[in-house]
Amino acid sequence: MRSIATDSELKHLEQRILYYAQDVFHRRLPEMRFFILDPAEFASLLHKRVYPKSPQNLWEGKEMISTRYRVNSGQESSLYYEVVQTGRPSYAYLNETNSAMVQASVMAHVVGHCEFSEINILHDSNDDRTERVMYLVNRVNRSRLGMGEAHYRMYWNAAESLVSLIAPNSQYNLPSSVDTDILYSDPFEKEKEKESSLLSFPYSYTLNQIIQKRDSDLNMVEFENQRKAKNETLSRRGYKLKAPCQDIMGFLRNFAPASTGERNILDYLYTVNSTSDFVIRTQIMNEGWAMYWEHKIMKQLFEERACKGIVDYCKIFAGVCYPRPFYQRNPYHLGYYMWNHVEELYRQGRVSLDFVEETDLQKKVNWDKPSGKDPLQAMEHIIETCTDYEFLRRFLTPELIEELHLNRIPKAHLPHLKLTASDVVKENKHYVWIEPVPVKDQMLNFFTHFHRPRIYLIDVDFLEGGLLLYHRDDGRPLRKKWIRPTLKNINMVWKGPVSLLCEDNLYTLSSGKFNNTTVRCPDFEEVAERMMDGKRPFVI
Amino acid sequence: MTEDKINSSDSEGIFNDFIRERLDDMIENIISEGDMSTLGGRESEIIVETDDIQPPRFTYGDDQEGQGGSGDEGPGKEAGRLSFSVSYDVIMQLIAEKLKLPNLLKEGQGKIKEVSYEFKTYGTAGIILDKKRTFKRALKTSIAMNGYDPANGRYNILLRRKDRRFKLPERVETPRYKAVVFYIGDISYSTYGERLKLEKRVVNFIQRWIDYNYGADKVEHRYFVHDSEAYEVMEDQFFNVSNAGGTRASAVFDLVSQVARNEYEINTTNFFAFYFGDGEVFHDDAEEIMDLIELSMLPFFSRIGVTEVKPSGMSQLVSILEERFEHDSIVRLTQLKDSSKVKKVICDLFR
Repeated sequence: MRSIATDSELKHLEQRILYYAQDVFHRRLPEMRFFILDPAEFASLLHKRVYPKSPQNLWEGKEMISTRYRVNSGQESSLYYEVVQTGRPSYAYLNETNSAMVQASVMAHVVGHCEFSEINILHDSNDDRTERVMYLVNRVNRSRLGMGEAHYRMYWNAAESLVSLIAPNSQYNLPSSVDTDILYSDPFEKEKEKESSLLSFPYSYTLNQIIQKRDSDLNMVEFENQRKAKNETLSRRGYKLKAPCQDIMGFLRNFAPASTGERNILDYLYTVNSTSDFVIRTQIMNEGWAMYWEHKIMKQLFEERACKGIVDYCKIFAGVCYPRPFYQRNPYHLGYYMWNHVEELYRQGRVSLDFVEETDLQKKVNWDKPSGKDPLQAMEHIIETCTDYEFLRRFLTPELIEELHLNRIPKAHLPHLKLTASDVVKENKHYVWIEPVPVKDQMLNFFTHFHRPRIYLIDVDFLEGGLLLYHRDDGRPLRKKWIRPTLKNINMVWKGPVSLLCEDNLYTLSSGKFNNTTVRCPDFEEVAERMMDGKRPFVI
Repeated sequence: MTEDKINSSDSEGIFNDFIRERLDDMIENIISEGDMSTLGGRESEIIVETDDIQPPRFTYGDDQEGQGGSGDEGPGKEAGRLSFSVSYDVIMQLIAEKLKLPNLLKEGQGKIKEVSYEFKTYGTAGIILDKKRTFKRALKTSIAMNGYDPANGRYNILLRRKDRRFKLPERVETPRYKAVVFYIGDISYSTYGERLKLEKRVVNFIQRWIDYNYGADKVEHRYFVHDSEAYEVMEDQFFNVSNAGGTRASAVFDLVSQVARNEYEINTTNFFAFYFGDGEVFHDDAEEIMDLIELSMLPFFSRIGVTEVKPSGMSQLVSILEERFEHDSIVRLTQLKDSSKVKKVICDLFR
């Protein structure tokens, strides 16, 4: 790994890109640090989840060996996509085998990601993320010595089962599901909490307490009663579930009984994997934004002849931004063209009450009344206020679905999609087209489950201190053979009984024994309502 | 950021350990249960397949897919398979480590050397002129003496005597050794079913083990059988010839010792002999074998193994031979009572 400063050509390109991004296009960027990696380092970095270091573990080794085998056997050629760890500062990595033009496009692309990370609604960016992960790696490495190799590996493997149970941005995330009087382990959450409780008067905490407006200002007795009631609801453990919790790994990381070493493993795995939740919720907007700025900046570079190979760039761009059907959505293609579409809408003043209320179809078709507002500002506002779900809900019209070929399905895929002849509205030799309206519904549905089972923690005192998990049934069965080993791994982390309610079955793993009992599984709404009322969500 | 080189070597090490454990399991299986003939030839890469591993998690899926089980602990198994290739030599090396077998090659190393000459160096005198090297030197000299100067139209290249360079041969010595393995079978006893299976398994291992140590092209495998007389047979007949009645094992030991002495150069050959039978021999026959081994074979054989396969109450060959050879470093006496003893027999024969 070497700094970009060691390559004068790339350093020059970096300077030009930053000039256009910051001085010409006025992007809000964090400090960006570029590094050049050889292919082996590049592959390794990807398997370390884009951090330069990671604690040793079986899974990274397996992936790395498989990658090397695929590269050596020609199944995987070169890697020319961008790899960036956003944050303040952001770290971006370039593959040394790429040409200067490709490196420039990668750097321009990274500009978009870094800005998106800074301004998005989920507040993904934070200070020193990479440095913090490096610190966590060191802590885990130290812990390994204390835990002993066998226990370390066993616990790590158990914790890997929890990675799919991370949901920090869910409606049922930790803060909205758990009442607690302790601070969460995430220093960034602490930071946010600190920010929210910043002294309004800089010099005196006491004075601040007097000046600060409180809910209980009007009635101190009422305030005290509320505080007492809240404290009484907290169990002696220091936490209480008030609603189903989807961020199960987050819960275990904070509240599972664990040694320092074990806690360090949970901290590390949670920290490096939790950003994938942000990625999956904003991927279309994020990749589209990056492509949008990559395209703009590259045009400038080609115009000033800082970079050669415009034809090659066009080929690469077309290869990245090619249309795929809705169930294999290509976020680069969809995002890029949607941002361009949104820009055009704002430029023509079509996102306005006047446009919506216009009843004359002809006028609407020819509508071009700029509102005077900069489209770019409106686009930034969308990033600051929306995730992909809302972005698609607002702007993905049936016409756009047609235009972006989201409803065009290769005939070879038809046997897997269970489509009937009545679903097909048009066809040619290679493709069929289906109705665009249900396509939008399908695409929005993705954001309710992300093609993953929805598992919630609904009780922490089930079967005398056991966890009770709930599978929110959406008609697809869980892989039954994996239920037992997964429960076993959760059991190792929780160190107590663990149960799963799933499709009228109660699977329980307690003291090494696995049981499966048939029960009546309540609806999710019923469970949530009972929890809100302070009742047990499920009783055998 | 203080890390200069990004790598996953530690994690790859853990995965390699994991694979090594799987290989160990497989080898344990091969030694005690499996048939080595399924491994393929010496030159082949052996493809080892095992269940793929994935961290178990709650996921959608069809339990009917594939053969993978859930696994009781640690990593879960998925329906997929994980395959990796291992060279034949690595497998044999692991088997040797597992059984703590010695390296047989030492027995013949250094005794006789094969000498050859390779033209690896050059000098100022010799027979074969190194034209390329000579021309390069001549060109350098010509440039230095202004004989060759294309810019001024001079193209003279002076070929002086002292510019000549000759290819010189270099003596290369490689140890020369070979091995002959005599497999001796008693066809007077009921060699079928379980007995035949056990005997085949041990013979198969011996073939591969000695091939691995010396190189397949340097090992000759010869097969002898006996009832009341001794015969040499082809490999495929060794397990198939039928019982002719009567038994006299000393005849075959005599034949083997004569073949070894008359057909091979004793100083440069490593001799191995492995006898398999039920051990039901007459006392005088056993004593004659004892004498033959001691006088005609021990002086130049590297290893002589006598194995009683599924011995009965009448088997006495090993017990008689033990009187003289119980602690001998060359003669190994062992009994193969059932399949669980295959590993022990192999260890007894070679350790």
